[in-house]
Amino acid sequence: MTTFPTADQLRSIDERHQVFCERLEDPLALDQGTFHFSAKDNLCSRGFQARAGSRILKGYRPPFDATPIRKLRESGGLLLGKTNMDEFGFGTFSTNSGFGVPRNPFDPERSCGGSSGGAAAAASLIPQHVALGVSTGGSISCPAAFCGVIGLTPTYGRVSRWGLIDYGNSLDKVGLLTRTARDLERYLPVISGPDPKDPTSLTQPVLDMRGEVETVAVPDEALVGLSPEVAASFREALKELERNGVKVREVKMPSLRYAIPAYYILATSEASTNLARYCGMRFGAMNQEFDQGFNDFFAQTRSEDFGPEAKRRILLGTFSRMVGFRNRYYMKALQVRQLIIREYRRVFDSCDAVLTPTMPFVAPRFDEIARMRPLEMYQADFLTVPPNLAGMPHLSLPCGYSHGMPVGMQAVTPQWTEGSLVGLARFWEEEFHYRFPEVMV
Amino acid sequence: MDRETVSKVAKVARLKLTDAEIEQYAADLEDIIEAFAVLDEAPVVEEYDLGPIKVEDILREDVVCRDSDPAELREVMGTKDDWVRGPRLS
Repeated sequence: MTTFPTADQLRSIDERHQVFCERLEDPLALDQGTFHFSAKDNLCSRGFQARAGSRILKGYRPPFDATPIRKLRESGGLLLGKTNMDEFGFGTFSTNSGFGVPRNPFDPERSCGGSSGGAAAAASLIPQHVALGVSTGGSISCPAAFCGVIGLTPTYGRVSRWGLIDYGNSLDKVGLLTRTARDLERYLPVISGPDPKDPTSLTQPVLDMRGEVETVAVPDEALVGLSPEVAASFREALKELERNGVKVREVKMPSLRYAIPAYYILATSEASTNLARYCGMRFGAMNQEFDQGFNDFFAQTRSEDFGPEAKRRILLGTFSRMVGFRNRYYMKALQVRQLIIREYRRVFDSCDAVLTPTMPFVAPRFDEIARMRPLEMYQADFLTVPPNLAGMPHLSLPCGYSHGMPVGMQAVTPQWTEGSLVGLARFWEEEFHYRFPEVMV
Repeated sequence: MDRETVSKVAKVARLKLTDAEIEQYAADLEDIIEAFAVLDEAPVVEEYDLGPIKVEDILREDVVCRDSDPAELREVMGTKDDWVRGPRLS
């Protein structure tokens, strides 16, 4: 039996938490029909630092709001705070932040998942809260599954990325983590839509919130390497869907085996160029040793303030783009992305959604994570990476509990069909009872 | 991946690594690159793009406007006497 900290214990953690609680309980905020939301720390906003979990951005206070934050504020939303994350989104467990590690609301010895770990914890702990998350390779689905909430990652280009601190430009997507389908219905239309400041948002079709999922495809490749408790919960969820008239089909998607290398090569290639801007001169950590030459000046700040995983990904991305390796790795990864898009489309000819578990195991303990090799951590993303690589919208829903820890399932639908996923979320919460930790009132 | 390659890549990326870091990253990246060799088996695709969706070059009109308050930007950049400070050029 897990013991949860009481509201009083949580309040005493530190002053920032006190401020957070006061904002949450501000009667003015809620009595006037407004709502509260939080934003992942890589979304810029006035009034808060935007550090993206990195010491290299410590002290950076953006003088503007990212488009999704601006839209939520204009709709009456009160931004309660920024949520912790893996540095620049580099991680699966939110253990790579420069500012502490968020703990799972169901068991504080376990990870929230990553990289939107703080967002998932906020959505899980605070009733009627909407948390803005960002996914590059699964950073909304994974923490949603580990913290037992709903996580919606829209189609690439549906929500403006203006004001988002880039990880991988061809992969980053802003989405929502909440407890209810109703919140998705309310807030997805608010944050979606074309934004002249982000050209990739301009070719999107109008958001259609109608749609449902009647036939799901389950790829054989997604059922290998699951922990017994995740496999059992997922099987049970499939039976429940079938009992409610949803058709389940087994399919083969052989290209999924290439998804992890293709994703990590593209994502780190893009990240290593994006992170070139952090040089200790214009914002965040400021190098004061002006007597150095350019290269030493830049290298000093970068070496001191990037964390170990950021350095690892910069090295991998820089290597993948270097002459002699570019064709073998980067260009091949671009081809694999196309291959996977085609494979999804083939499946969508006869099914409405591809359904898999979200993560191959329940939220791991921190001592288990400490023993994992970097490659093992990357490989844990094998179910969340494919839709992210393909820019397809996807949704993680709680589908079971094992020894008190939530298990998630993930549905993927064709590009621009977020309405079907919202329909599925609405349908599923009528059939399946979600549990939430009782901490706050 | 050997230590020499890691050192070369780190220099390109403007990262100064300690010997222990070079050792660790050489082992990690060797492990990763070896597993990623599975990409060699993936079929060749002739038509592909840089992103997952079709993007057209839709540009904004050139309109003179004040996007951000220069005073706020100077504050973020920690300017001295309104100058951005940086290292020597040589």
